[in-house]
Amino acid sequence: MKLTINGKMQEITADPATPILWALREQLGLNGTKFGCGIAQCGACTVHLDGRPVRSCSTPLSQAEGKSIVTIEGIASGDGALNRLQQAWISEQVPQCGYCQSGQIMSAAALLADNPRPSDEQINIAMAGNICRCGMYGRIRKAIKVAAGIDSERQQEAAT
Amino acid sequence: MNEMSEVIAETPETPKAGKKRGKWTRRTFIGAGLLTGGALVVGVAIRSGKPPERLRAMLAGGDGEILVNSFVKIGKDNIVTAVVPHVEMGQGAHTALAQMLADELDADWNNVRILEAPGDGHFASHNIAREFLAPELKVPSVLEPTVDGGFLTLAKMMALQITGGSFSIRGTGQRGMRAAGAAARAMLVAAAAEKWQLPASEISVDRGIVAHAKSGKRAAFGELAEAAAKQALPAQPKLKTPKDFKLMGKPIARLDIPAKVDGTAIFGIDVQIPGQKLSYAAVKAPPVVGAKVAKMDASAAKAMPGVLQILNMGDFVAVVAEGYWQAQQALNQITVEYSKSDADKIDTAAIFAGYGKALDEAGADGGDTLAETGDAAAFFAKAAKKVTAQYHVPFLAHAAMEPMNCTAWVRGGLCDVWAGSQSPLGARNAAAKTLGISADKVNYHNTYLGGGFGRRSETDNIEMAVRIAKATGYPVKLIWSREEDTQQDWYRPSASSRFEAGLDASGKLMSWNNIHTHLFDPQEAPLVSYYNIPNSLIRKVDAPMHLRFGPWRSVDHSQQSWFIESFVDEIAEAAGKDPLALRRELLAKSPRHLAVLNRVAKMAGWGSALPAKHGRGIAIAQSFGSIVAEVAEVDLTAKKPRVTKVYCCADPGFAMNPDGYTAQMESGIIYGLTAALYGEIMVKNGAVQQSNFHDYPMLRMNEAPDIFVEIINGDAQRLGGGGEPGLPPLAPALTNAIRAAGGMRIRHLPVAKHFA
Amino acid sequence: MQQTKILFIGLILAALSACGSPAEEPAEQLIVAKPGAGAAPDSSPAPAAGDLASKGKAIFAAACAACHSVEAGEASGAGPNLHGILGAKAGRVKDFAYSQAMKTSGVIWTPMELDLLLANPAAKFPGTAMAAGKLTDAADREAVIAYLTDISK
Repeated sequence: MKLTINGKMQEITADPATPILWALREQLGLNGTKFGCGIAQCGACTVHLDGRPVRSCSTPLSQAEGKSIVTIEGIASGDGALNRLQQAWISEQVPQCGYCQSGQIMSAAALLADNPRPSDEQINIAMAGNICRCGMYGRIRKAIKVAAGIDSERQQEAAT
Repeated sequence: MNEMSEVIAETPETPKAGKKRGKWTRRTFIGAGLLTGGALVVGVAIRSGKPPERLRAMLAGGDGEILVNSFVKIGKDNIVTAVVPHVEMGQGAHTALAQMLADELDADWNNVRILEAPGDGHFASHNIAREFLAPELKVPSVLEPTVDGGFLTLAKMMALQITGGSFSIRGTGQRGMRAAGAAARAMLVAAAAEKWQLPASEISVDRGIVAHAKSGKRAAFGELAEAAAKQALPAQPKLKTPKDFKLMGKPIARLDIPAKVDGTAIFGIDVQIPGQKLSYAAVKAPPVVGAKVAKMDASAAKAMPGVLQILNMGDFVAVVAEGYWQAQQALNQITVEYSKSDADKIDTAAIFAGYGKALDEAGADGGDTLAETGDAAAFFAKAAKKVTAQYHVPFLAHAAMEPMNCTAWVRGGLCDVWAGSQSPLGARNAAAKTLGISADKVNYHNTYLGGGFGRRSETDNIEMAVRIAKATGYPVKLIWSREEDTQQDWYRPSASSRFEAGLDASGKLMSWNNIHTHLFDPQEAPLVSYYNIPNSLIRKVDAPMHLRFGPWRSVDHSQQSWFIESFVDEIAEAAGKDPLALRRELLAKSPRHLAVLNRVAKMAGWGSALPAKHGRGIAIAQSFGSIVAEVAEVDLTAKKPRVTKVYCCADPGFAMNPDGYTAQMESGIIYGLTAALYGEIMVKNGAVQQSNFHDYPMLRMNEAPDIFVEIINGDAQRLGGGGEPGLPPLAPALTNAIRAAGGMRIRHLPVAKHFA
Repeated sequence: MQQTKILFIGLILAALSACGSPAEEPAEQLIVAKPGAGAAPDSSPAPAAGDLASKGKAIFAAACAACHSVEAGEASGAGPNLHGILGAKAGRVKDFAYSQAMKTSGVIWTPMELDLLLANPAAKFPGTAMAAGKLTDAADREAVIAYLTDISK
């Protein structure tokens, strides 16, 4: 089965019913995408399938055939510089244990691609599928706004 | 926990609150040496005064010396490596510990690296340790554990490398890392003085450079490391006071974060063995804990793709396959019959009925007394006003984001184990014991932890993995499903608690009588010594249960703080007092507590008007050496209560990394809010009913309140913890706020069940 | 506070003797294959897409079928089986683990409710497991709802 992963064509031999998550992790060694619940409830396994966020633990490989998958390993720019969301995640000191953060960043990236200037309410809605047991929701919200350039405090700081 | 009761039985003095003991002396020893390549290493050891033989053997392998793995290594390349004996599970301990060491050393932060001490118990070398008497530590206050407790905590947490008890910074950092840094600095200065033939008193250190201002002589750490190793150890390494802190108290960015935003951080579940193909195991343990596999039918599973082995281990069933998903799919096709036992009849209602019976039997003065002041029963009998209440809290699962897992490879009498554990040495010993080999045959590799919260201090996952790997002979990565993780936890125990309070004619709280069911620790959790109550009696009754229980973020404080602070609000209501005003009255003799309470009230605008069906609740708790007060603001206009804001003021003595400490408060608040609103593990026919996030729900971003945290550095000599203390006040602040908003007084958690 | 000590001793013992029982051999060990040898993955192709009888069915196949089965009695996938969805109550399928948000919503699936859901699933049910499946084009939603109505008859 052929699919494009992080811009590279990959050939995978696996049962088409296998969730994308396990092919990424066990066959391609892309361990940044995490297993959390197996039933699309926690968002730790979020990747982009043709640009849309999907829960890879519950999406079979058969649905990805011929399509393009982007994982956390693939969202930095080509020269390896961090994505603006990743930078904001560092500046706002978002992660604690860090286990959910690949999924959080992938959901946030899909949100900003769809809506470059989301309101707090829109952020909450888009991110409600991603659980963070360390409870860093406030910092995630802030980091998304910093990345989107809509954080008022930050803008004031920059201006002064 | 048979081991625990055994030790209690052998302890000559029955522990009782308030009794003085002092047979331990606390002395700190510093060891230093030279590594090949000319690197200076300095470590800290703690030695007990007269340890009983049993303890000595357990703690230090028989020589009476407890060598502790907090070290600094200074290489010729100027790189300062802080070797930390604690694991990183998001609490920021690695960075904060390195910060403390680097500050005392006056190192260049850009040249500081962190190495987690390997879990092999030999990191500290006995041979290079030389005796050293540290400045005598002050007599512990109410905020500090006792001399005994403090010593044992320090020894256990540092030497056994256990991460928990909100201990890393206030224990290892304060007494280990800082001493090692200060000693290394003194030795570098002595080396420079000798080389330059100048008095040490005129030599200064700043950002990794040792310098003599008058002569203009300068040397980097690396140039002096080898000579420093030959210097005499300082008899009294002087620790800085806060005015000289350069890194301590600063919000330094955590060093583990970059790897956690690009997918490169390695958690236990991500482990690969170079050059080895991994196979994957899925497991199913009996739904009723303690049951055995009576019969297994694996005929369908055997034929499924990718399946390598199917194992009936007696106490669980495992499928080993080429991939985890294949293993789990095949496991789902296996039918298992389990052995029967009396536990099959247990359900949640029966458990609470049992607690009620135990409390009834203890009556007004039975049970084990934990603390007693005055005569609570006598005053209550004649009280002008009486307040009584009973509270219940459910079992809770930890639900760390990373399901339990472990990778093991057993071959040729050796074993390699990879996992993220809060107790690396415990994990290593568990593997050795399970296999019947000595611990030095086990090579344990620790990783980042995808959440710990106490769950990863247990070693059941380790034991399972090595047993499977022993049977297969090839390396296996065991991954639990979320369902298994939820149903085979070591739960926060459920509990019931009863209170009686007596008020005098003027409305003053005169007596406090509490009895609660009890399973765990710390036993000071139900005490209210910071409240000025003339007559109090606090008792417990043991309440056995069949589920496994273990430490859950803040342990007993998670229950007791809700009981205590709910009851304080009920007393206020009965007395017609404002909840803040009553607490101020009760804290009249506890100035640090009062300062924290007043600050949070000010932050929250306590007393200012709120819209209809909105309310504020306040609570204060002291745990793990820190004092934390919180105010929750609740909106009851919709069907379900919504927490809109949480204000938090904490006094941890001194916050070594204020942003890290703030993050811990935020985290404890959300973890506590999730539990208070939704958390409930229920039992039916002996088995846990919840299985995954759909029936054991978690707070999500759309429900997350805005959180405001302020820190008071109340006493830099007495540090408190960070990982746990943010949690205990949250639940009572929430339920007090619901009451204030015109809602019901909630006496049985979780909150959501009252709004279904 | 003296009890602190006792607890710690207990914990130390627990840490040092975490597993009381000696190594237990498996009671049964079925060895099916060796790692990497045999156990070829199932290479049967994914079920072929059926006839695209209507616009809605075609859109459904492209945008929804990855997660949702539609035949009566067919097992749920990443999303619940949708047979008979029109007029049914949210959270009705037994073999699917619904999010708390969906299960407790009390929604009855009318065309209008479905339209709201499909326009933005996460907005209708914050915390829903339905991360994908958003249809921004109202005409597409209408077609899919027509198809769902058809299969609910």
